[in-house]
Order: sequence, then structure tokens, then C-alpha cells
Amino acid sequence: MEDTLHSLMLGFSVALQPSNLWYAFLGCLVGTLVGVLPGIGPLSGISILLPITFGLNATQAVIMLAGIYYGSQYGGSTTSILMRIPGEASSVMTCIDGNAMAKKGRAGAALCIAAVGSWIAGTFGIIVLTIVAPPLATLALRFGPPEYTALLVLGLIFLAYMSSTSLVRTLLMACLGLFFGMIGIDNMTGHFRYSFDLPELGDGIGIVPVAVGLFGLGEILATPSKNVIGEVIRPKLRELLPSREEWRQSAWPIARGSVLGFLIGIIPGSAHIISSFLSYALEKKVSKHPEEFGKGAVAGVAGPESANNAASTGAFVPMLALGLPTGPITAVLIGALMVHGVNAGPQLITEHPDVFWGFVASMYVGNLMLLALNLPLVGIFVTVLRIPYAYLYPLIIMFCVIGVYEVSHSIVDVWIMLIMGMLGYALRKFGFDPAPLVLGLVIAPVFEQSLRQSLIMSNGNYMIFTQRPIAVMLLIVSAGLLLMSAISFALKRKDWRAKLAEVEAGEGSS
Amino acid sequence: MDRRSFVIGTSTCAAAFASGAAFAQETYPSHPVTIVNAFPPGGVNDIVTRPLASVLEGILKQPVVIETKAGAAGQVGAQVVASAKPDGYTLLSHNTGITGYAEVDKLFDRPAKATRADFIPLARLIADPCVVLVNDQQPYKTLKEFVDDVSKRPDAIIYSSGGLYGATHFPMALLEQAAGGLKMRHLPTNGGGPAITAILGNNAQVTAQSVSASLPHIKAGKLRPLASFGGERSKALPDVPTLKELGYNVEYYLWVGIFAPKGTPTEIVTLLNSSINKAVHSDTFRGVLANVGQDLAYLDSAQFAKFWEEEGKRIDAVVKAIGKQS
Amino acid sequence: MILRSDHVAGAAFAAFGLLIVALSGDLPFGRLAMPGAGFLPNLVAGLMILFGVLLVLRASQESAPLTDIDWNDLQHAAPVISITAAGIALYTRAGFIITMVAMMVALLVLVERRSIFRAGLYSLVVVLLAFGLFAKFLRSPLPLSPFGF
Repeated sequence: MEDTLHSLMLGFSVALQPSNLWYAFLGCLVGTLVGVLPGIGPLSGISILLPITFGLNATQAVIMLAGIYYGSQYGGSTTSILMRIPGEASSVMTCIDGNAMAKKGRAGAALCIAAVGSWIAGTFGIIVLTIVAPPLATLALRFGPPEYTALLVLGLIFLAYMSSTSLVRTLLMACLGLFFGMIGIDNMTGHFRYSFDLPELGDGIGIVPVAVGLFGLGEILATPSKNVIGEVIRPKLRELLPSREEWRQSAWPIARGSVLGFLIGIIPGSAHIISSFLSYALEKKVSKHPEEFGKGAVAGVAGPESANNAASTGAFVPMLALGLPTGPITAVLIGALMVHGVNAGPQLITEHPDVFWGFVASMYVGNLMLLALNLPLVGIFVTVLRIPYAYLYPLIIMFCVIGVYEVSHSIVDVWIMLIMGMLGYALRKFGFDPAPLVLGLVIAPVFEQSLRQSLIMSNGNYMIFTQRPIAVMLLIVSAGLLLMSAISFALKRKDWRAKLAEVEAGEGSS
Repeated sequence: MDRRSFVIGTSTCAAAFASGAAFAQETYPSHPVTIVNAFPPGGVNDIVTRPLASVLEGILKQPVVIETKAGAAGQVGAQVVASAKPDGYTLLSHNTGITGYAEVDKLFDRPAKATRADFIPLARLIADPCVVLVNDQQPYKTLKEFVDDVSKRPDAIIYSSGGLYGATHFPMALLEQAAGGLKMRHLPTNGGGPAITAILGNNAQVTAQSVSASLPHIKAGKLRPLASFGGERSKALPDVPTLKELGYNVEYYLWVGIFAPKGTPTEIVTLLNSSINKAVHSDTFRGVLANVGQDLAYLDSAQFAKFWEEEGKRIDAVVKAIGKQS
Repeated sequence: MILRSDHVAGAAFAAFGLLIVALSGDLPFGRLAMPGAGFLPNLVAGLMILFGVLLVLRASQESAPLTDIDWNDLQHAAPVISITAAGIALYTRAGFIITMVAMMVALLVLVERRSIFRAGLYSLVVVLLAFGLFAKFLRSPLPLSPFGF
């Protein structure tokens, strides 16, 4: 412990040098911008600044590039809340309740809570990373295909809690999402599936075009301007800050989201988006008022936004402790270190303590900077909602097009977005909720691959899932959830869904 | 403005409109170049392509962005580039695995997605003798101990690879055959990085990977090299015997190359060829390679094309020998 | 019997499930112990058919008559969809600036009945702002028109 503190002091002495502070700030600034703008992800942001880093030393380079990465997670919620377009794929869940809050005139509060939640989650993640990175990384490696499968089974069961529509409708949407997720080249055997010889579909259907279409465009199609009453979405500037009640409601979701997100973030693989979905479902499950979800529940913003930030910090654990890049962003960081002659590997801490600890310390500083950067911006962003709806929605459509196109510069993606917008409109007419569809799409490829890998590992024996402690634990939780619903169903006890239906019926008749 | 010039003007505009970007002929490259990497981070493709992109940036005077499109043993990335616009702005970083796709498709009786004719080879960067690696929880100290145990317990040991019929599936399949029909289970992942992660976490026990991708883990004592597939011992691992020394007649190299889609204009290919040539011989690139224990094995566009033709026959034979799996 | 919205929705999903099964003919199914490329898609299609039928069966208790669905906003949705589709079709040909200004003006003038002057000015300003941010500041390539902007 004393060692850690001592090393951290060394780290701060590196991180607080004026030039390093400047590069951390530059990284955070670009990160925020990149996060706010839909379509431009942290990767594009990093590639703009990458050439600059060749003139820097290894520490400065990695501080700046990492700043872009975790900075982008702060801004990702902005367009989700204001326009229902996810600024980053991991902010999809924030669209639902964040935008609903904005419609109630609480856009400022939602943005503040997202920023503060991100800060708490980010700082929590770094503290854990500082103390226990190496043992955690070893633990994360044990997370193989069977554990992944079990985690995603849990995710599928959580699905039932995600939506307030009936179970059959939720499952139908999930099936549709799972199917969309299987379009493209099969990752295991290379078979082309359902892509009708369109080479653009070989890579599969992206999350962003689907989410932007279903949430962003679908909402616009179903909202003619004559139905929009001006005052509803126009917030007063003095009501920007969250109320005491809203802070109280967001405290536990932020705490839970931080832990959940960090744990999922350290797993090698790309589970970061799943962390925000799981956090949303978890909040809905434990909430005393699940009927508020979808209508502007504070927990529906605080939980997922904290989770995706904690996950982005967690992703540094395998990179720093083992030199394993688990995603494209950490790969860029390792690449930048390599160009500077620093080999990222298990010996990074011992061979280059100044780089390692300087980097860790810079993240404490960077997160504070981001908070200071993001809170004043809330006031500016909220003014977007002062644009009358008739002028606002053409602007949103433009952002939908640009945001989807910029992801991989493919016009086919934009067409998919339009089709998904139309689908979202039709689904809404028939009373379906698109959120489980997006989760199904996210889960499908990873679920299929890890299930098949698990079965290869066990020679086709399903008992593999009961022979591994983490997998067993996850499956027991899943079974417990199933059992609970079964019991409540058998006892004919009204669950929240029935209560919700009653409330709605009451509203309808009054 | 008289009427005639108006008509001419409008029709020129319309023609330009119809012909799209052809009008805006600028010197290549006028905007960022993307190198699609068909394998996820952590594998040899990523390790070699990133420094190359950094150095190329200075030579082409444009950002060179790496985009990861992984899946199906690299077929996803190959297919994306094969169908990309051949304008020199989308290049591909791939490895030995790209050679056998057509043969695999033939095996499964399905239309070919990406054949060798779909690509123009620009440069081969490295040709790495893979090493057989086991994790630190395995008792084997020599390849003999390992082979003996595997023949005693067929189908018990799992090896990980970067994908079915991929560049790191081949060496293990060759070893199985050379050792007289060893039987192991095969855990395919999306690339060298995940394959190494799988064996580090003991989800698989053995793998064949490049020296550069595994060297840090070998140094940290997490992975143990048993043998190398090279013709001679690797400079970075001088204590590791080659398979030939041990009496197995196997030689295999995992090479990494840069490709352009078929139809890329000749002058752009020439420019890229000379730019990559300059880049790989730069001090920065050589320094990074030396640092990760990787030897440069550069072939320029023409040499690489010739090499690839020979390699194609070899790999097709390997694919046929592996046969239809799953 | 009244035709209810769930009758239509359920039938549509069931039909879609059947379509998936029909399209999966050439994909190897594999075994339960070793699923092939066609295993999960077929499973999902099967579930989709099952839930679709379930929806149809329970429609009379749970859903409102089809005629209850309010299609009033289609007057708004249909032109917005057509204009956006035209915009996407032109996007890579006429470039970002021309297409997006035209699309926004079309939306504002044709759908929202705003004055063409204000609509044009507003569209031009926001499109140029977005262009500056994405293409100039972040250097992310946006499609250009044949005239080079």
C-alpha cells in the first residue's frame, strides 16, 4: 500500500508538470468534442492527434491519447439527451430516459447527472486500477468463452426487465435484434448469411445505424411539429441544475453503475456497450418505481452513463497490467508507446514506472478537467432546445445522416438507418419497444461465437458451463431471476408490469 | 453571358455532376488513407501495421488510419477491401491466411468471396517463423514431452488459433500431421491477440504465434516456447530449437503483407510501393521491429507478387490436407 | 371477429420467421453439441414464429382493433421519409453541403411551410458549421460535390 502511494506520488509529479497538464487538457478537449459529435468516435479523434504525438515523449503521447478516449465517454450522452441520437454507441440507453427528461424540461439536470456520474465512475475506476490492477487483470483473463456465454444469458434474461411492454413483445423484439446481429459473414466458419451478395453487409449490420434509425429518426417520424408544444422542451436556464431529489435518486445508480461497468470493462473483448444495457436493466429491476423508466427516470441516465465510463477505465487494466490490448483504442495507445520505444507488456510497471504511474495519475487529473469542462457546457448545449421544433428536426435528421455516414463512410449504413427509422415508426404504431432489439443486436455476434467456442472447448458437452466458477455464478443469478418471475407468476401476484397497466388504464379513463 | 455559353456551361456542370468525383482529380493522396486490418489488436498484424502507418503518415503527408475489421479468420477484412473503391484510399493489412480463402470456399462448395486475384500485393513486411507456445500452467518443458502427452491423451489438449483456416491454424495442423496424426481440439478466435489471451487465461493450452506478439509474455514467464517453425533459430529466442532440428519436417512462416484492391490505378500502386519501401527502411520502423524482436523480411510489390504465387500453391495444399472441418 | 393490431403484427413476425427459415437452406445446421452457421438463426426464426403465433392468439384480449391505430402523423412521416431518401441518394454524388442544404430546405419549405428565405439561411449556416467541425477541424472526410466543396 505504501509502495502504491509512493509510486502514485511519483506519478503525480509527472502528471502535474505543466506540459503534461496541457496535453491532458488537449486530449480531454478533443475527446469531449468527439464524444458530442455523433459518428465521430474516439478512434477518429485519436487519428487526428496521432501525428502530433510523434514530437512528444511516450508519457505525453499516452496521456493525450487516453484523454481523448475517456473524454469521449463524457460527451457521448449529450446528443442522446438532446436529440435522441447516441453520440457514441455506448450511450444508446441514455437516449430513452435522457431524452424523456429533456422533454420534461430537465435536459440540464440530465446532462449534469451524466457528467457527475461519469466523473465519479471514472475516478472510482482509476482508484481500483491503482490499487489492484495486476491481480484483477489475471482474474479477467479467466473470463473465457463459457463465462462470456453465461454473462450474455444473464443479459438476455435481463432483457425482460428492459421494456415495459409485455414479455412476448419484448422477446419478439429481442429475436429480431438477434437475427439482425447474425447477418453478415459467420465469424466461425466464414459462411455468408442473409446478405444477398451485398458486400457491405459482410461486416454485419452496425449498432449505430440501427440505434440512430430506431431512436432518432423513428421518433421524428412519429412526431409532427403541430403536436409539439413549445414550452415543453424549452428549459429555463436557472433550472439547469438537478434538484436535491434528483441527486438523491441518482446516488445509488451511479454507485452500482460504476462497479458493474468497471467489472465488465476489464473483461477482454468488446463488452462495453453491454455494460450500459445491463446497468439500465439492473436499475429498472431494483427500482421502487420501474414504471417511471422510459418516461424520464433519473436512474435510467445515471446508471448507464456511469457504467460506460467505468468500463472505459476498466479497459485499461489488461493493457497496463498485461500489455494486452483488448480493443482498438488500447491498441492505438500501445502502438504509440511502441513508436516511442516503450514496450507495453507485463513488465511495463517495472521497466517504465514513470510512464505507467504518470499515466495513471494523469487520469485523476483528466477526469477533474473533464468535469470542469463539461458542466459549463451544459448551459450551452441546452440552448439547442430553444430552436423551435420545426427547425430542430431537420437539423436532427442531418445529424442522423452525418453521424451514421461518418462511422465507416458507407452509404449503405445510411440506407439501413432510414429503413430502421421506418421500422421504428411502424413498431411504435403496433406498440413495440425498440430497446430490446438493439440489445439483441449487440449480444448476437458475441453470444453465438462464445457459445460455439465453449462447445468446442468441451467437445460438445454443455456441462462446461457448470464446471467453471464464474460461469456457474452467473447462471445461478440468471436461474434465480427466472425462478422469481415464475413464483410471482404462479402466485398471481401483480408484478410491476400489471401495476403499470393498471395505472395506464386509470389514466386513460380519467 | 450569351445563350450558347450558358447551354455549354450547364451541360458541362451536369456532366461533371453525373461523373461524380472524376471531376475533382487531385494528386493522390488528398485525404486520409485507411489501412483495414483484418485482425484484432494484440496479434502480429497490429504490431507491424501500426508503426508502418505512423511512418507512412510522414511520407504520404496524409493521416494513415488503421481500421480493425476482424472476423472469420480475416475474411471479413479481406472481403471489405476486395469490394472497396480501388482508389488507393483503402488498403489491407493481412497475412498468410488471405492465400487460402478461395480454396476453403471450394471445400465448402460456396461462391468465392475473396480470391487472390482480388488483390494487388504491395509489400511483404515480415515473415515470422511461428513458435509453439504453452502457458505456464502446463508441465511440458520440451516439445517431446508435449507430443508424447498429446498422443497419450488424444482430444484432451486445446489449441487456440486466429480462426478456422487462418494463418495460425495452418502451423498447428502441419505439426499435428508431421507428428504422425496428433489429435487436439481447435479453439478458433478472431486473431492472434484473442488466441494469446485464450492461452494466457488457460482457456486453451497451446498455440502457435509470431515471436513479436508473444515475446513480452515469454519474457514475463507466462508463456513457454517449445519449438520454432523456422528454417533456423530466431534471433530473439536463440534457445528455442526449430522443428527441423527436432526431426519434424515442417517449415512455416507467418508473413504480413499490405494489399490494395484490384483495379487500383498503376501510378498509385507505384507511389505506394516506393512509399512503403521508404517507410520500412526508416530508422523508426526498424527500431520498433528490433524492439519487439521481429526481423524485417521486406519484398516489394513485384517480388511479393511472385512469392505469393508460389505460396498460393503451398497453402492450397495445406487447406486440402486439413479438409472440411465443422 | 374484429381484426386487431396484434393479429397483423403477430402474423407479420411469423411470416418473417418463415422467410428466415427459407433463406437459411444452404447454411449448415450442425448439431446441438456443435452448432453450425445455420443453427442459431433457425432457432431465432423458430422463436419468432412461436411468439408471433402467441401474439395472434392473445390478440383478442390484449390489443386494440387495427382501426384504432392513429395514422394521422403519416402525413408528416411520409414526406419526411421521401425527402430523407432523396437526400441519401444524392449524398455521395452531390456532396455533403449541397445535399444537406437542399434536404433541410425541402423539409422546412415543403413540410413545414416556412419561408424559403429563412429556411435557406438557417440551413446554410448549420450545414456550413457542421462541415467546418467535421471536415475541417476533425479532418474526417465528408463526401464532396463534383465542384470540389
